[in-house]
Amino acid sequence: MNEFLVSLLITLIKIGVLLGVALGLGAYLTWFERKLAGHIQARLGPTVVGPFGLLQPLADGLKLMTKESIIPKGADVPVYYLAIMMAVAPAILLFSVIPFGPEFTLFGYQIKPIISDVNIALLVVFAMGSLAVYGTIFSGWASNSKYAFIGSLRKAAVIIAYEVVLGFSVLGVILIAGTMSTIGIVEAQIERGVWFIFYQPVAFILFLFCMLAESGRVPFDIQEAEAELVTGYNVEYGGMRFGALPLAEWYLNVMALSAIAVVLFFGGWSGPNILGPFSPYFWFLAKMFGLVFFVIWLHWTLPRFQAKDVTEIAWKIMLPLALVNVLVTAVVVYFFGGGT
Amino acid sequence: MRIKRLSRKDYLNVVEAIFFIDFLKGLSVTLRNLFRKPITTEYPKEKLTPPKRFRGAHGHFVWDGTEPDSLKAIEKFMSYERGKSRCVACYMCQTACPMPTLFRIEAVQMPDGRKKVVRFDMNLLNCLFCGLCVDACPVGCLTMTDLYELAGYSRRDEVLKMDRLEAHAVDFKNRRGNEPDRIWPNDKEREKLWGKIEWSG
Repeated sequence: MNEFLVSLLITLIKIGVLLGVALGLGAYLTWFERKLAGHIQARLGPTVVGPFGLLQPLADGLKLMTKESIIPKGADVPVYYLAIMMAVAPAILLFSVIPFGPEFTLFGYQIKPIISDVNIALLVVFAMGSLAVYGTIFSGWASNSKYAFIGSLRKAAVIIAYEVVLGFSVLGVILIAGTMSTIGIVEAQIERGVWFIFYQPVAFILFLFCMLAESGRVPFDIQEAEAELVTGYNVEYGGMRFGALPLAEWYLNVMALSAIAVVLFFGGWSGPNILGPFSPYFWFLAKMFGLVFFVIWLHWTLPRFQAKDVTEIAWKIMLPLALVNVLVTAVVVYFFGGGT
Repeated sequence: MRIKRLSRKDYLNVVEAIFFIDFLKGLSVTLRNLFRKPITTEYPKEKLTPPKRFRGAHGHFVWDGTEPDSLKAIEKFMSYERGKSRCVACYMCQTACPMPTLFRIEAVQMPDGRKKVVRFDMNLLNCLFCGLCVDACPVGCLTMTDLYELAGYSRRDEVLKMDRLEAHAVDFKNRRGNEPDRIWPNDKEREKLWGKIEWSG
């Protein structure tokens, strides 16, 4: 009983830390993105609130919370509210299977810096990725607005197409590592001393594109499409309810999927020991934010695909590529050995 | 006219398409710009100084002894005061103006027979800052200054009366009077835009 209570306490602490860090970083990514976008366009970005505009996310949050939130006429109110949770919860749940570092011992207890070390972690990732589509669909449907509805339908089409490709692109890594557990995959890479990106470059590129599509980033952001759809499925939301949807989609989702990409392709927390016990966390976060930076950088570089092209690319180009990749990997693994 | 259809082959070959050369080119452009110095002027904190010939709010040059000798001839017909506008109420500015009603100019005859300008109002809400009135002024009185912050709290604020016009010009002359009268702040700036000019004369 005592042991159960302790493990429960440890899990709760881990959840608290992760939630705080993820949401805080998500909020600060808005600042980072605005700064980056500004400097790419020879502007300055936020400078007024605090030094270098560092308090801007807090000011934004305060503004969003004090704003009046208007529910559109004819909206399906329960679903309207449910949609926010349906969008935010999967994005946060994605973090539950991300290992941030190796196991360590604190006060005689073995602690893994992962909330739930399950052996089907990648399936959880896919499940949560697919669940996110409900938030979008519900928000579009419940707001009783044509822009929101078109945006949500587009997003649904994109997610359905890219979720398939995402699954197949990750299969290669699973075949090589021989496990679906995220910790197992990282340990397989540390054991071999090679990051899986060198074994699976095609899968990484496919994964990257799926990541962009899932999180509604350029060049696959047809569901946002500011110019044609106002801002897509969240157009009828106001106040913090509006803030939660992009926060979940653009920041939490990008961070979580980047973290999963790091686990799958960049060796997780592996890296030279430069900071003592903190170096695994440092390496993990450095790689993760490298990817997040790349995504944001790409966002402010590329134009947007046409709506018809996005799903066409997924079904006609990326899916066959992913299948060929899986096939080749399977053959190679069968003949030359791979998974345990 | 026929539309020329381009296939992907025409601008990207297979190798370039596989390695995302177009993406990488775009990314390099944004990365280069990322490290460039921003060109923002943080307006209320920093203000740009326009070139001297900038067409901002109007002003009236005053009778202060610096005017050319040719103007001295009209002194005996006009009831001038030192430090006041040297306007002669000839209405040339109003005639040249594309929106003449924005001027309201009145002059009276003084007991000694000289002319005194008692009113010179310019409604800047109608002004399009074309500078034709400045070109038309025969006594070099009306001018345009480099003041560009012309917002006000009422429509009445936007009407420039004589005293404000005089103050603008006095201020402008104090600040910029010694600068050479040209569009560019210095020769270097001009040569950057237009190259070195060989003067013919």
